[in-house]
Amino acid sequence: MDYMTAFDIAASGMSAERTSMNVISMNLANSKTTKTATGGPYQRKAVAISQASVASPFASAMNSAMDEQLRGVKVAGIVTDNRPPRMVYEPGSPDADKNGYVSYPDINMVEEMTNMITTSRSYEANVASVNNVKSMYNKALTIGS
Amino acid sequence: MKSYLPENLDLTAKVLDLQMQRQNLVAANLANIKTPQYRPKRIEFEQELQSALNTDGQGKLTLTSANHMPQAFSADKFEGNMFAEFKPRVIYGQDSVDLDKEMALMAKNSLMYNTMTTVVKKDFDNISKVLADGGR
Repeated sequence: MDYMTAFDIAASGMSAERTSMNVISMNLANSKTTKTATGGPYQRKAVAISQASVASPFASAMNSAMDEQLRGVKVAGIVTDNRPPRMVYEPGSPDADKNGYVSYPDINMVEEMTNMITTSRSYEANVASVNNVKSMYNKALTIGS
Repeated sequence: MKSYLPENLDLTAKVLDLQMQRQNLVAANLANIKTPQYRPKRIEFEQELQSALNTDGQGKLTLTSANHMPQAFSADKFEGNMFAEFKPRVIYGQDSVDLDKEMALMAKNSLMYNTMTTVVKKDFDNISKVLADGGR
């Protein structure tokens, strides 16, 4: 239990939120992508977040049981959303199928924007935690002065 | 007679430690705000500390025999109780940590920590004042 633990935990949270912000930008940028490396339209992605210990293996052997309860986060992976594509009738498009329909990725702008706001607020919460710990640390340093 | 050192200082140091622990737990809860199945964690120590110091409403432990040992508070042995919420909080099918609660707790905790720091600093200031003025 020390100051650095709080910083490590907040940093892990900030990094996870940043990854999810990147994924949201990717979804927004690719909302009209009809061609991908695997063929077919772009498929919406999401991040899977799981808890993770921030202590190194050596430190965790030295920790008390209570410190072992402190968990940061990590991105377990980026998962593909398998929702079906949105079919739009555009017979003139080079991507149209034989019936004249083009498959577009089913990206819901409102959904992505709300996710973005949630992510941004969570990031801010982690920043606030860092600032608070920093002020506590500075205050503790005044004991000796 | 109680003295500044070591009882008082040990006690304030212990409280600072426990508040640091609480800050760490809040940081962990905030970082895990979107982790599925995460149960927010808390640490409680105020009640136990009061009863360990005989300052709660219960009063002192009575000594009914001369052979009874007086109850002495030891800061090293004291630990807070940590527990996790019974189940994850679920909102519209997604579980999440209560952000308002955590932020309020964090603000309260760091204010308390800063106050305790001032107390420790004043203790030291008082000692040096006694040392400086007592020799005159």
